[in-house]
Amino acid sequence: MEGSSYTILIADDNMSDRMILTAIVKKMGHTVLSAADGLEAVQQYTEKKPDIILLDVMMPNMNGLQAAIEIKKIAGEDMVPIIFLTSLQDANDLAKCLESGGDDFLSKPYNPIILTAKINAFSRMLTMHNILQQQKNLISKNADHLLNEQQVAKAVYDNVAHSGCLDLPNLKFLLSPFSVFNGDVLLAARRPSGSVHILLGDFTGHGLPAAIGAMPLAEIFYGMTAKGFLMEDILREINSKLKTILPIGYFCCACMATLSFRKKNIEVWMGGLPDYYVLRKDQDEVEHIVSTHLPLGVLSSQAFDATTQNIAFDVGDKFYMWSDGIVESRNDDGDLFGEERLKQIFYNNKNRESLFDEIVSKVNDFTGESGKDDDTTILEVGMLEESELGKVNIDLSGGSVSGPTDWKMEYTLRGETLKSFNPLPVMLNILNDVPSLRRLSGQLYTLMSELFSNAFEHGVLGLSSDLKSSTDGFAKYYQLRSERMDNIGKHTVCFIFDHIPTKSGGQLTIKVIDTGKGFDYKSIKSSNFKADTYCGRGIPLIRSISESLKYSGNGNTVEVVLAWQAEEA
Amino acid sequence: MSTLNIAQVQELKEIMEDAFDDLVATYVQDSEDKLKLLKKEVENADHQAICMLAHSLKGSSLNICAENLALIFKQIEDSSRINDLSSIEPLRLQAMSEFDAVKVELGSTNTL
Repeated sequence: MEGSSYTILIADDNMSDRMILTAIVKKMGHTVLSAADGLEAVQQYTEKKPDIILLDVMMPNMNGLQAAIEIKKIAGEDMVPIIFLTSLQDANDLAKCLESGGDDFLSKPYNPIILTAKINAFSRMLTMHNILQQQKNLISKNADHLLNEQQVAKAVYDNVAHSGCLDLPNLKFLLSPFSVFNGDVLLAARRPSGSVHILLGDFTGHGLPAAIGAMPLAEIFYGMTAKGFLMEDILREINSKLKTILPIGYFCCACMATLSFRKKNIEVWMGGLPDYYVLRKDQDEVEHIVSTHLPLGVLSSQAFDATTQNIAFDVGDKFYMWSDGIVESRNDDGDLFGEERLKQIFYNNKNRESLFDEIVSKVNDFTGESGKDDDTTILEVGMLEESELGKVNIDLSGGSVSGPTDWKMEYTLRGETLKSFNPLPVMLNILNDVPSLRRLSGQLYTLMSELFSNAFEHGVLGLSSDLKSSTDGFAKYYQLRSERMDNIGKHTVCFIFDHIPTKSGGQLTIKVIDTGKGFDYKSIKSSNFKADTYCGRGIPLIRSISESLKYSGNGNTVEVVLAWQAEEA
Repeated sequence: MSTLNIAQVQELKEIMEDAFDDLVATYVQDSEDKLKLLKKEVENADHQAICMLAHSLKGSSLNICAENLALIFKQIEDSSRINDLSSIEPLRLQAMSEFDAVKVELGSTNTL
């Protein structure tokens, strides 16, 4: 027997015909209901909901055609196959049977083999229909569950991906995701040095699969930026991470920029994105910044190229970044918005302050009713005087509350490593384990960076900062630097950190010892250092942020003390 | 044309098993009732009622393997549809005598 047993209604006004059909159907193992006319058939269906109906066409009271219409109406979305019993031969009559909702025919005299085949076919269909219904219910239950999960995941995602400093006064942005999750990421964070790292990423596709890659990307971006890593290091790390975790064919088109308020420039790395625009203050010309790299997550670490473009960027200049969702948005007719339309907005713009809003509204007007089919992100970056930004508020949450306060560490860099490795992030990371030092992160970075460059450039390489006071000297300085780098030999620079708790807070002593010739520190009075120049070993700067500074030995050992006060609870 | 399709009757007996005699009795009783009605409706010249009866009798006769009888009822049905009442009465008489023959043959099927 095929599958399950069904209840089958036989509606025929001829008792002898009903007897024959009943015998056949019962032999198949199904349960039989019978009706002698159309009215009875409808009544039987309403009361007992049989699975399949065998329905005679010509019956008294209500004929089969009307009965079929009634039954299908009552059944609604439930499936109830109706097989018409007929000796009608006329094609028009058969067509009427189909119009009234019939699914098949059986002609007289009844052939048990054909009837069995038909009932079995409909049984299979019913079984499939039931499975389909069950699965439909299951799917809608799962969908509810999934939506709930997505909302929780979204909360986690938002915490990770949107903890930066996009609220800076020089940034205007619009993030417009296509679905719950955004495949575009827009991140901004300040470095300990005060400059800002910005990253706009557009992952392949959209929705959750695209957004999931944004989590490690954001973690790396914020973590490494806060620890003072350079853009190049961060890009390498992100690229290598994405290369490892993303499936083949998935990647992240990205632009990362360092906005330096002191140097008034933007350093840009772009991979796989449409052209970005720079507008100069009081100039109408649009400068194009072109992607020169492959997207992140495509190349191996060895092949990855972190070369950046340096763009002078002054107060009043604007830099525009976007994901390709802008140029690739479509209108009702399926036309692309395209770069030409975007460019026209720039050329037709009268008031630069409203340009950002113009772009957003033009794109929205264009896509109109059709809505969008990708995530769209747009960002406008401006330049500010550093003083307008306020202090860096680095968030390095995750450390212990009290943290280590009584410790000593020695870190020595030798030979090749001394030449090519930037030790600052590693050291800053360790210092940041002391919670109160986190607040001083920016100062510590500046301090250590000065100490390191003094020990390396002046100490180990023996370069005099006097050279840097003239333009010619500058060139000479860098020529000598490069020559001496090649002969660095067994030179070392050693950092010794010593942290002790004090009554009011803590005290950090940083001792830096290099293997250079040293210098006659005794002859130089602090009054001789000019505070506002690049030269002079940066000592005025160090003095300004530290408690005390003293040289010893032949001038190749320097010790800086930095005291901190515990914050009032 | 023979009165009953013998091969089909055999098949029907296999389907019906013990209920075959019941089936024959039911068919005979039902048909006799309907033939009486048919006679009346022909007298009334109600061609719609004639059509319904003839259609029903045609179907049940086909199912009982009485092909020849079914054919006569089909002619009555067709004539009633085109309102040709004059040809119906001779066909009805023909059906009556064919029905008697079917009854006899069905009664003797046990010996087939």
